[in-house]
Amino acid sequence: MSPRALLRLVLVTLCCARLAPLAGASPGIVPAARPPGAVLLAGGRVVPVNGAVLEAADVLLVGGRIAQVGPGLAAPAGAEIVDVRGRSVYPGLIAAHTQLGLVEIGSARATNDVAEIGPLNPNARTQTALNPDSEHLPVTRANGILTALVAPAARASSGSRANLIAGTSTLIRLDGWTWEDLTLRPAVAMHLHWPAMRLPSGTAAAAAQRNLDAQLRQFDDAFAGARAYAQAKAGGGRPPDTDLRWEAMEPVLRGELRVFIHADELKEIRAALDFARRQRVAITIVGGLDAWRAAAELKAAGVPVIVSGVERLPGRRDDDFEAAYANPARLHAAGVAFCIAGLGPGDLGHERNLPVHAARAAAHGLPRDVALRAVTLSAAELLGVGAELGSIEPGKRATLIVTDGDPLEITTRVHRAYIDGAALDLRSRHTQLYEKYRERLRRTGAAQE
Amino acid sequence: MHSLPGLRRGVSLLAALPVAAFAAAATAPVEGLRDASPRLHALVGARVVTAPGQVIENGTLVLRDGLVAAVGAGLAAPAEARVWDVRGRTVYAGFIESESTLFLPAGWKPSAAPAAPAEGAEAPPPAPAVAAESSGGARSWHPRVQPERRASRVLTPDARGADALRKLGFTAAHITPARGIVRGQSALVSLGRGSFNRDVLRDGVTQPLAFELVGSGGGYPVSLMGVIALLRQTLLDARWYGDAHARYREAGGAGLARPEANDALAALGPVVRGEQQVFIALEDELDTARAAALAAEFNLKLVLRGSGYDYRTLRTLPAGVPVIVPLAFPEAPAVEDPDHALDLPLDRLEHWELAPGNAGRVAATGAAGALTSAGLRRPENEFWPRVRKAVQHGLAADRALAALTTVPADVLGLGATHGMLAPGRAGSVVVASGDLFADEEAEVLLVFVDGEPFELDAWRRFDARGTWRIAWSGAPAAAPAEIKVTGRTPARLKATAGSVDATVRTDGTRFTLLAPGRWFGLAEGTVRLTAHPDAGALDGSGELPDGTPLRWRAERTAAAPANRTAPKPLPPPVARADVYPAGAYGRRTPPPAPEHMLVRNATIWTSGPAGILEGADLLVRQGRIAEVGRNLATPAGALVIDGTGRHVSPGLIDCHTHAGLTRGVNEGSHSVTIEVRVGDALDPTDIVLYRQLAGGLTTANILHGSANAMGGQNQVIKLRWGEDAAGLKFRGAPPGVKFALGENVTRKSFTTPVTRYPVSRMGVREIMLDTFTRARDYERDWAEFRAGRSPLPPRRDLRLEAGLEILRGERLIHIHSYRQDEVLAFIRLAEQLRLPVATFQHILEGYKVGPEIARLGAGASAFSDWWAYKHEVIDAIPYAGALMHQAGVVVSFNSDDRELARHLNTEAAKAVKYGGVPPAEALKFVTLNPAKQLRIDDRVGSLEPGKDADFVVWTASPLSGYARVEQTWIDGRRYFDTGEDARLRAETTATRAALIQRILPERQRALGAAAGSGDNAGDEPARPSVLQVLAQLAAAHADGAHTLYHDGTGHSCKHLERP
Repeated sequence: MSPRALLRLVLVTLCCARLAPLAGASPGIVPAARPPGAVLLAGGRVVPVNGAVLEAADVLLVGGRIAQVGPGLAAPAGAEIVDVRGRSVYPGLIAAHTQLGLVEIGSARATNDVAEIGPLNPNARTQTALNPDSEHLPVTRANGILTALVAPAARASSGSRANLIAGTSTLIRLDGWTWEDLTLRPAVAMHLHWPAMRLPSGTAAAAAQRNLDAQLRQFDDAFAGARAYAQAKAGGGRPPDTDLRWEAMEPVLRGELRVFIHADELKEIRAALDFARRQRVAITIVGGLDAWRAAAELKAAGVPVIVSGVERLPGRRDDDFEAAYANPARLHAAGVAFCIAGLGPGDLGHERNLPVHAARAAAHGLPRDVALRAVTLSAAELLGVGAELGSIEPGKRATLIVTDGDPLEITTRVHRAYIDGAALDLRSRHTQLYEKYRERLRRTGAAQE
Repeated sequence: MHSLPGLRRGVSLLAALPVAAFAAAATAPVEGLRDASPRLHALVGARVVTAPGQVIENGTLVLRDGLVAAVGAGLAAPAEARVWDVRGRTVYAGFIESESTLFLPAGWKPSAAPAAPAEGAEAPPPAPAVAAESSGGARSWHPRVQPERRASRVLTPDARGADALRKLGFTAAHITPARGIVRGQSALVSLGRGSFNRDVLRDGVTQPLAFELVGSGGGYPVSLMGVIALLRQTLLDARWYGDAHARYREAGGAGLARPEANDALAALGPVVRGEQQVFIALEDELDTARAAALAAEFNLKLVLRGSGYDYRTLRTLPAGVPVIVPLAFPEAPAVEDPDHALDLPLDRLEHWELAPGNAGRVAATGAAGALTSAGLRRPENEFWPRVRKAVQHGLAADRALAALTTVPADVLGLGATHGMLAPGRAGSVVVASGDLFADEEAEVLLVFVDGEPFELDAWRRFDARGTWRIAWSGAPAAAPAEIKVTGRTPARLKATAGSVDATVRTDGTRFTLLAPGRWFGLAEGTVRLTAHPDAGALDGSGELPDGTPLRWRAERTAAAPANRTAPKPLPPPVARADVYPAGAYGRRTPPPAPEHMLVRNATIWTSGPAGILEGADLLVRQGRIAEVGRNLATPAGALVIDGTGRHVSPGLIDCHTHAGLTRGVNEGSHSVTIEVRVGDALDPTDIVLYRQLAGGLTTANILHGSANAMGGQNQVIKLRWGEDAAGLKFRGAPPGVKFALGENVTRKSFTTPVTRYPVSRMGVREIMLDTFTRARDYERDWAEFRAGRSPLPPRRDLRLEAGLEILRGERLIHIHSYRQDEVLAFIRLAEQLRLPVATFQHILEGYKVGPEIARLGAGASAFSDWWAYKHEVIDAIPYAGALMHQAGVVVSFNSDDRELARHLNTEAAKAVKYGGVPPAEALKFVTLNPAKQLRIDDRVGSLEPGKDADFVVWTASPLSGYARVEQTWIDGRRYFDTGEDARLRAETTATRAALIQRILPERQRALGAAAGSGDNAGDEPARPSVLQVLAQLAAAHADGAHTLYHDGTGHSCKHLERP
């Protein structure tokens, strides 16, 4: 079948789907068939991220992996050949900080499962609370974001008290029937939310400082408690009563589970670095609005930063207007390892705008190739899947997108997307409603050319 | 009458005073023996400052029966006078405290004790709760409008408070109600002994009005714009009340509906007739212009109490208005920890240096300036040092004296009797040890109030400092023959013999020394000595360690060396008083407006019929676009910008923002508040305006929030950063109003039960219809009056007048809307009533009813791609803009968000991505289309000849995420430029560093003092409770509760307003 004919078939399918009744989360959109057959993406401009751009090259996907990349590849028997001439092939984008699947409608509390209550929840796991039928998944992947870290938030709503240790994050692919299908890594990191350390001025400062100190001590207390628990278990005597929280901390203490510390302001970042030295744990900063101010310390400590949100307001009146925009460029110039993520909590529904954050960083000094890497390979590396995702290389997961241009440009559209070699349905409730009401315009003759 | 047991030690003046002090009203019968003590005093030998700039050296002042009888050099004291030897002293007319709540009950004072004040902002107390006493009588409908109450009727003696003011030299005080929006009549009161029959000098001196917010618990109004609307309506009501009752009386009343009785409106008669002064205490620098505007609108006679930040907005100070200037200077900011100091904005650091010069700068405008101790935390320690500091910082000493005497006397209506020392004037006098306005050690010693003396502790205190020769009796032979008494003040002393110190304790009239045995050649033990002054000597006794009594007498052989050092001349300030807004990124002057400027060889997105022109030029003449095209001639002297590789677009326009609005975005207390005006509460200091300029934004529509069905009147602004509130306004933009539908209006997501009508979409339509039908009835009432069919004028109702303006098509509706059902219902209502609907705002389901919106002729001011934040956006799709555009609706994308408004250009790009709107059309979503929606497209929105030269120079296509702004121009002036921005950043950094170096010495002293008193728990500031801290934090972060000069974050309609 010629690519053109294939495209026609796809369009026909789309039209039929448009007429399907709507109920719940786009039930007409089904996960990709697995295991996938071999696919040859033929003749596209391939941007592998970790190497030189290949004009008019092929990418061969076999068994869910990238088998070969290069010009003039031979398609294995039975392989689907997709003509992507005039298109570009990029690795799927990776959203390194989201609450995808944990919350559907921000202000509808019944749909919100982003955080547990109480300060210490190391045993909370985002993995099992993920809704695979969340409308957010198809909406997000339509913009080329195929992998996401789903992290527990500091608090369920703006009024509630913050978690200190919020639990573990899950790395998901944005396609699957169940949360088990979605899961790439059940536990990527233990998430610590550093309390805001900005003090009120005047006489309230001292009391606020005492409250803050008490909160901060809980981090050390938790780690000490977890260590004591682990030692008691290993001690050979009567095993201690089971404590789910300290059980969950064991992989952290063994160095098997990363620690992600959410911290934005300079004081918080410095305190987090102190904490990491004191507790001898390797940490990653998430948020990092002020990370550029601590770039030298971060580099010296080898602590990477998941810059959570580039399109942000500066934190202080005196900060330059582009303090957040230029943060990645400043980190890059200082040699700090970083990636770019969306805003996380508070950015519900905007996960699909991840490319915008990267482009903004590029507009304010970050080289464009670094900006692209920051939402692909760098993100994969900081999430511990650099060997599997984030670039177009043989052996990696065949998670990639076919676009009509630079995926960091807003006007660029994603025409095809593959997760582990299987083609995704890129429609969503949004496209379905679009088609439905385009039809109204057509029928009423109201559409203007 | 006050009672002695209530007085603390050290405040026991009463004991020394004649019984006459307790005389009550002259009309009261005399009980027991009458007091006929002569009331004649002669103050002899002083330097008498009879008025600012008029000094009599070695003068005599005679007070008789409470009045000045004579004043002059070398006058003989009358024989029968009590003579006060005040040689070497300085005598002034009694000072007048221009603002005080002394003698007032709790319901007249700000409700809470001032919370821990923020550094640099100690002046304004927190917003009071609802005033208490509001029941009974024919009152205002509003509990915080109480002009009829009079301070003079509720004065309660407060001996301690009066004493505290007298210690500062005040002999009279302007007692000012300090709670409510219209607060009640003030009174000028002598600080005598609490016989108010005698002490009330003048009643009804002023009527204080206030822009007071009390939080959402207080009902309407909950926003600054609401407060101003209430004041405006109340003053109109007062005019109407006088008029209506006069006409009713003239008409004889028969056959007429009697106008309501209303004490509050009656009491405001003198205010609206310009007969009574209005006192407004400004809470921040922007209130100056607000008070001035209100005064201009109603011809009010204004007296202002400054905010302490007045120097920043002197140009908005109306001429001829007296200003009472507070002395609440900030403590040195805590800059010692660099990480903490980072959080202190430059404006606050600069205010530390500039605040003491505030009074001088106000005086330099020619305004009559008074000074007040109000707002000081410890007036007894702070007032005079700060007056002197104000003098050191540029307030002429004579002006400072006038500010405490002649100015308040004139302003408060006692110019003929108070404020100067001259025969016949009030015998209220201050005797100080020296020049209070220059001498750091000068202090008030003695005060006469209406001829009655009050001796202060300092008057009777014996200053023991100096060298003393001692004659001992019964002491060991080794006893010291000479001791030195030293100390910073006469109250904190130590005695030294040889090099050995003894502790001295004194109450000013009696001295106790604890001398080490060594003074007396003893190996151990402490010798206790005590003494009292006796004709200049010290007459003492004591006990040796073994109990042996001794006697001693000391004669002074030398006075203490003057430890007075002339104050060092102030170094030129580092802080910049000439930038606005204060602090980082402020401007000194508006950007220059070149006669001609030309952008050469750029890609020009005209958003007009010419489309996108490559290699084109843009010519600007006198702030307007002259020509767009290729190869334009360069006028002589034109400023030329090379646009090679650059893109130029019209200045971006945001049809929905709340940035630049202060102290409340929502007047959501009532369902209909269309009388409130966003334009009354603009905040030109909002740093986000500068940051949005840096994103190419030039025009914005500041909307009231969406908490009620019919909100407030919007204000279109240009982002002329550096201008004041008036300078931001887009003159000529048609007026508009905010309406809202859906969840917010009906309070659907509140967890507490909702009682306000409406609670369903059904009721939303009805409340709107009801308001419009009322407006029509109101119009009819006026028509009948004007036609002479009714002799009584209807009351002007600004709420209904706004409704009428809408019905007449003069005020455009911007309506917050989500679901297609409510949108269609409103469309039908609008068709029925012929309402002018400019925009549906947000309009997330507008794509479902695009044809209907188009037929109404309304625009859609939408989010590009927001969804999922609340239930009613369940069907929001990013294709909505494109679909509505296809249906023929004029579509814009707005921000409703401080960050998003910094890149509306990439919002426009989403219309290309989602739905395939052509690029030039998509850019119009943030240029021409919002201009059309706001009916300002004749002025802005496209680059066409004749329009305002509002444009942006981009590094790339404005629809590219990689584009950044290089320059933003408004009215042919360059308001943002990357080069200038770099300079401003450098200036901010350098000024911060230099100021911190200035602050550190004072801060080190403060830290040293704190460390010195380390184990003295009594000196520690009171620790606020956790609850207090949390409350403060909550207040600091409350929506709409921003004070000025915040960090730039704020409200968005996306997040539902909570009650």
